[in-house]
Amino acid sequence: MATIVEAVNLRKIYMLGKVPVEALRGVNLKVEEGEFLAVLGPSGSGKSTLLNLIGALDKPTEGKILIEGVDVSMLNDNQLADLRRKVGFVFQFFNLIPRFTAKENVELPMAIAGLGSEERRKRAEELLELVGLKHRMNHKPTELSGGEQQRVAIARALANNPSFLLMDEPTGNVDSKNAFEIMRLVKQLNEEKSVTVIMVTHDQRLAAEAKRIVQMLDGVIVDEKVNRK
Amino acid sequence: MRIGDIFSYAFSAIKLRKLRAGLTTLGVVIGIAAIVALLSITQGLQAAIAFQLQKGFATDTLIVSAGGGLGVGADSGFSLLVNDTQTINDIENVTASLAIIQRVGYLKCGGQTRRVTIVGVDFAAYKEIYSSTFLAEKGEIPSNPENDTVVVGKRVSDPWNNGTLFCNVGDAVEIVWTNTTARPLTNKTYEGSVAAVLQEVGGFSIGGPSDASIYIPTMQAQSFFGTEKCEMIIVKLKSDDKATIDSTAKTIREAFSNQVAVTSSTAVLNIISSVFSTIELFLAGIAAISLLVAGIGIMNIMIVSLMERTREIGILKALGMKNQQVLLIFLSEAAIIGLLGAAIGVGTGWGLAQAVVRIFSIGGGAGNIRQGSQAALANGITITPVLTPTVLLGAVAFGLAVSVIFGLYPAWRASKLKPVDALRYE
Repeated sequence: MATIVEAVNLRKIYMLGKVPVEALRGVNLKVEEGEFLAVLGPSGSGKSTLLNLIGALDKPTEGKILIEGVDVSMLNDNQLADLRRKVGFVFQFFNLIPRFTAKENVELPMAIAGLGSEERRKRAEELLELVGLKHRMNHKPTELSGGEQQRVAIARALANNPSFLLMDEPTGNVDSKNAFEIMRLVKQLNEEKSVTVIMVTHDQRLAAEAKRIVQMLDGVIVDEKVNRK
Repeated sequence: MRIGDIFSYAFSAIKLRKLRAGLTTLGVVIGIAAIVALLSITQGLQAAIAFQLQKGFATDTLIVSAGGGLGVGADSGFSLLVNDTQTINDIENVTASLAIIQRVGYLKCGGQTRRVTIVGVDFAAYKEIYSSTFLAEKGEIPSNPENDTVVVGKRVSDPWNNGTLFCNVGDAVEIVWTNTTARPLTNKTYEGSVAAVLQEVGGFSIGGPSDASIYIPTMQAQSFFGTEKCEMIIVKLKSDDKATIDSTAKTIREAFSNQVAVTSSTAVLNIISSVFSTIELFLAGIAAISLLVAGIGIMNIMIVSLMERTREIGILKALGMKNQQVLLIFLSEAAIIGLLGAAIGVGTGWGLAQAVVRIFSIGGGAGNIRQGSQAALANGITITPVLTPTVLLGAVAFGLAVSVIFGLYPAWRASKLKPVDALRYE
């Protein structure tokens, strides 16, 4: 299986005012195609920083991050933007555009990628059907529940056929019933559609759903195990 | 991202805050409306003046006056004399010339008095030179006038423009002129009889017939005003081509040792045109300042919008939007506001110009709106606002340019936001 993400001795130092904060202190990680990886750790462990680097939203201070073999730190802003089109982001706070309907939100990444409106509409409807929200596609985010919004966000993340889904506490803002539904959907995508999933969470129960779990603490990976469930 | 999608995205952002966008657009509307209104009125005025000048100022004539031209600044001690016409008549290309003696005085008729310009001319020569304007509406202009012959302009006869006449053909009139150079001041009175009322000339003219003047024979004027001097000599040329005008003007100046100014109608039109260009530039400049203020409003609103939408920009970037696409979205918002403002502004400005012209026409006292939006000012000039394609396109382009230029900085800032910071922004 091909390696989709590879982090080599990854370090990231932030400046909090004048104080440098070492968020990542040498992380090595490989993610293979078709994996469902959970990055587990308490807040401040550096897992969100790692996620931002994997998603090409930020550049490392030291070390390398390779996405499909391409070193992110060598890319300019435009190339980074192109790279992000291969990443399907799902955020804790959904991050849908409030003035757009569910369908328009799903169409947005495709519009950014330059797809025509007919093609976008068709695919957005398919994706919303996949996440079970076709009947709600003309509703705006404010008219949808947290769980529904997150499912729209997942549909949006899948819009440009990404190499992998990158999920940041995807159930952090939904109730347990909806959290279960979302996890079921993610697992289904991973198992049936072979979508690679990298999920960051602080929730052990959620992480337990993944095929592989890496545990982070204070900017390093401290444990790694394969879920045999 | 396709250009249509960029515009539609920008438009959706504008639609979200209608009041704010509306007020920002209003700034552009006011700026553009001011430019369009001021320029279309000024250009209308210029066209009206040029039209009147061409009407009352034959193109194949020259005006000779002492000193600085048209009597302005003529203080060299040199004066034109009535019989200087003989010198001019001998010059090549001159077919006729006539001296004009001009004073301001009063006309009394039937117990009423009006202030008028008294002009002494050779009726026969004047008729020949101004064959289209020195024409009688009532009565007849005699080529060999009697000593008491008086010809009055349309506005002297019918000053209120409503048929209530101040004087008419056949009326006995008294012309009163105060000799201000003699001490003690003496009033001189000239008794005459109205032989003709001129057709309406309209506007004004230099040298040519005017609605507010009365005309008496040269000889009478000379003896009445006690002078051999004249204010100007009108020279009729064989042709109105530029070479003839220029060479004859030069010969005339030389004949009077450069003590006279020779003015041609084309020169006057050129001067007026250049004066109006300056006025237009000045007015457009003032209006442009208001547009700059609108531009700062756009910048302000876009910076606020940028702050409010920082997270949105982060999302867009996370979804793969490039910096220049973010820049284009913000510039498109500015462009939409600019275009919309300019379009409404042109319409509003045009309407404003029409309204101003109407108000002037009523307030101007003449009160005769001739047709539609035209207006007659107190001095009889009819203004129709002119909206040239240059002004129209220029105003729209300027509104758009100002909006986009002031939108550049916020758009650039938006495009430079780091996705990771933007997404974290609360």
